[in-house]
This record gives sequence, structure tokens and C-alpha cells, in this order.
Amino acid sequence: MRAMAIFLFVLVTVLPAAEPVDVLVQGAEKLEVQEVVAALEHPQKQSIGPFSFWVGRIGPHRVAVSLTGQALINCTTATLLGIEEFSPKLIVNEGTSGAQVPYLGLHDIIVGRRALDYGGLAAPARAAGQGSAALAWIPVPQRLRDPATGQLVEFPDGFPGDEAALAVALRTRNPMARVFPGIIGSAHEVNLELDRVAWSHRTFGMDVEEMESGHVAAIAHACGVRYIAFRVVSDAPYDGVPFYPQAARATGLFTVNFLHNLPPL
Amino acid sequence: MKRLFFLALLLTALGPGLRADVPVVLLAAATDAELQPVLSRLTGVQTERRAAWTFWRGTLAGKEVVLTRTEGDPLNAVAATTLAIRHYAPRLVITFGAARAHDPALRPGDVVVSDRFAAFDGMYSSVTPGAGGINPLKWNPLPHLLMHPDEKEVPAVTFPADAGLLALAQKLHPARGRLLNGVLGSSAQVNREADRIAVLRAQWSTSCEDGESAHVAGCAELLGVPAFGLRVIDGTDGEAAELVRQLVEAMP
Repeated sequence: MRAMAIFLFVLVTVLPAAEPVDVLVQGAEKLEVQEVVAALEHPQKQSIGPFSFWVGRIGPHRVAVSLTGQALINCTTATLLGIEEFSPKLIVNEGTSGAQVPYLGLHDIIVGRRALDYGGLAAPARAAGQGSAALAWIPVPQRLRDPATGQLVEFPDGFPGDEAALAVALRTRNPMARVFPGIIGSAHEVNLELDRVAWSHRTFGMDVEEMESGHVAAIAHACGVRYIAFRVVSDAPYDGVPFYPQAARATGLFTVNFLHNLPPL
Repeated sequence: MKRLFFLALLLTALGPGLRADVPVVLLAAATDAELQPVLSRLTGVQTERRAAWTFWRGTLAGKEVVLTRTEGDPLNAVAATTLAIRHYAPRLVITFGAARAHDPALRPGDVVVSDRFAAFDGMYSSVTPGAGGINPLKWNPLPHLLMHPDEKEVPAVTFPADAGLLALAQKLHPARGRLLNGVLGSSAQVNREADRIAVLRAQWSTSCEDGESAHVAGCAELLGVPAFGLRVIDGTDGEAAELVRQLVEAMP
């Protein structure tokens, strides 16, 4: 155990950085990155701490593909390590998600106009025996410190997707279903109560929920790196469709198509 | 090849212990007010900024330390911890500050020292049709998964705390209240509903909650660095800092 800890510790501390890439593509699960890794020309694998990266070319771009792992701790750490190591011009975070609106079906892809963290809350006090009232909870937005002013700034609407990347993505083919611009919400939650699903759409405008995009968007914003997220619908509670992990293939193929369509950065 | 050379060099340097110029401990707290009592005692302070996060390097009680401000939420806490581990290679991370009680036996001024951490923000609900309501008291816990180098994720209901520092912490002298071992919980939530707090405690064994401690510990675990935490229930700004000063002073 101690040997593993020292191994991780050494791998993560600063060594000479790798050659920069144009695009850092991230997926939380192997199913989400496998199509992109397979599309890399002359891929080379690199490990930083517990995280794997594969570097190669897709179309005109030098690309690093990052397997981030799920949720805030993994994706925040992997994003910072990826930014520091590869100095990407653009981050593409892609993967699966749960629909928050009835019009979305399995394999549809949402391209993030915005991505936000919807997990922050402040609950008014209720005494023992008075239960829990989720609709009374007050959302607490993600904050980041502005280095120019030294002030903490709230981002209640989250972080916008890069406009140029958004335009290219909306012209890109999803081989399995439709593509829409939309709002992606992130938290360490899987919400299957339709009333709460409706609340997240009503409160934040969310079209899909997942566990990474909003966090990665915050880090990208803080580090001044362009950012876009793609999320395929892998479960659709309005249609009674349970989680279908193979839907990840659609977002991987879409990302490869996007990279071919994306002009040199 | 060049990277392998540097790796070998670093491994050699790490051999029996850390390099003399490597800071010993990372101290992480949410706010300037919580950091200031420690910062004011640092000598040879160097301030470094990386994107949205700030790091203060210096000497405290003869030990090299780095301080960082976590802003009191999981994302900033994980970001600051990641950057600190990558750039300053601490051998230990200490998260400290105030907390709200989950354990009804805790009183203001009691100090909880970590024998574990729980990032209790994970939940999944059961399939419920429209107009079926929202029932947080029936939500199921969803543990964090930590990535491992074999590209597999391992679920972690709790993250470990450094046993050596926990033993050392038993000698601390809180200004008011008792010293207890417990589970430090964190999330981006301020929970004030007694029934929900009871459910969270039953699911995660949390003694108390704050905005960052378990996420700092989870990040440290992810990157192979031991972590320890200390929280004063409804604490004032200087209370936890004073205990951290005592702790660093007592460290070998």
C-alpha cells in the first residue's frame, strides 16, 4: 500500500511537461473514450498519477485523450493535471447522461451551451420529525476566485461552452440519433424521481444531468482554456429507459466526427 | 527517456525520506480568516498564485509548510489540493476549520479529529413517476469512485486518515469542549433539516459536515498522499488554527 502511495506521489509531482496538444478530450469511463482512442493516429499512452492519457493525432489536431473517472474528485484532479501537462487549447468533455426533459431520447446528444454544478444547496432549518423539503432548498452556485480582483465570483448559470466549438458541434453528425444545443448539469447524483427531474429543468434549465461537465467547465474557466461538452442520453426517465452504458459509443463517435470537422486551432 | 531520468532522480531523492527542501505539510482551510492565525506565524513566507488558487510557503514551528485556501467547497478544495501536491510534493495534507454537527451528542467547541472522511454528496433516487414527490429521506448513498492506475475505479464510502497524526492529535488541548475521534463529512451542502442529517449520519457515519474536508482527503488519497483533518463544531476562526499550530509543533 505504501509502495503504491509513493508510486502515485512520484508520478503526479512536476516533471518536464509533455509536448502541448490542441485538444484534450475527456471521458469518465472506458466506453466513453474507446472510440476516440481507437481513432488516434500513432497513439502513445502516458500515465500521470492514477490517470491514463493517450496522445496522437485526429485530423489536423494533436489530441490527448484522458480517462478521468467519474465525478468531481476524479474529474477535477484529472483536468488540472491534463491542463498542466498538455496545455490544451480546447477541452472536450464527453460522455453519458440522464435526460431531464421529455423530448430527449436514447442516443440523442446535447452539446453544452452551458454547463453548471447543480449540487450545492442550503437547507432551511427543520426540527426533528418535520421531514425534508427538497423544494425549499436554496441552490448554492459554484464560486471561483477572480485573480484580477481577488474576489470570489458566483456562477449561478455555470460556464458557457466555447462559441466556435459549439457551432462546429451543431454541424456535426451524430450517427445514432439527433443533436441539440442545451444545458448540462453536474452533481454526484442520479435523479430518477420525475418531480425532481422536472425541478432541475425548471430551476437551472437543465436538459441532461451527469457528474463531470460543470466541474470541468469551472476548472477550464479558471485556467483560461476553451471548453465544450457533449452528452449522449444514456437513460431517459420520462420514457422509462434505464441506464444503457453502450450509449457511450455515440458520444465517442460524435467526438471523432467533431474533431475532423474542427478547423485547426 | 528524459522523463525516465527525472523520475529516477526523484525516486532516488525520495529514498529514505523527503528532500530537505520539500515542504513537509500542506495545510488547507476554507477562508482567509481560518488561515490567518497560521499564516501570521509563518516565517519566510512566499506567496504563489496558480490560476484561481493561492499558496503560501513558509516555516512553522521549524517545519516547512504550504498553506492554501479551499474556498469552502469541494471543487476549489480538490483543485487547490491537486495543485499543491503536484507543485510542492507535501508528505501530508491537513484540512482544518469549523463544522456543523451531524452527531447529536456533539456540542459547540467540541473538536472532531479524523479517523476517516466521508464525501457524502453522492445519492441516487428510486424511479418515481410524476406527482410522486421528492423524498430525500429515501435517497440512497452513492459512494465516490477513485481512479486507480490500472484504469479501474474503486468505490470508497470513506477515505482513510493518517493514523500517526490521529495518535498525535490525542494530545491536543481544545480551548473549550472535548476532543473526539470521528468521521469528517463534506459536500457542497448546508444541511439544517434534523431528519435528513439523521439519515446522512446513518448512511455515512458522519460526525459533522463542512464544505471540503473529505474532498481534500479523497484527492490526497487519489494522489497517494496521507491526509488528516480537524474540525471544531461551530468553531470560531482562530480555534482550529490554534490546534493545527499545536499539531505541527508536536510533529516529529
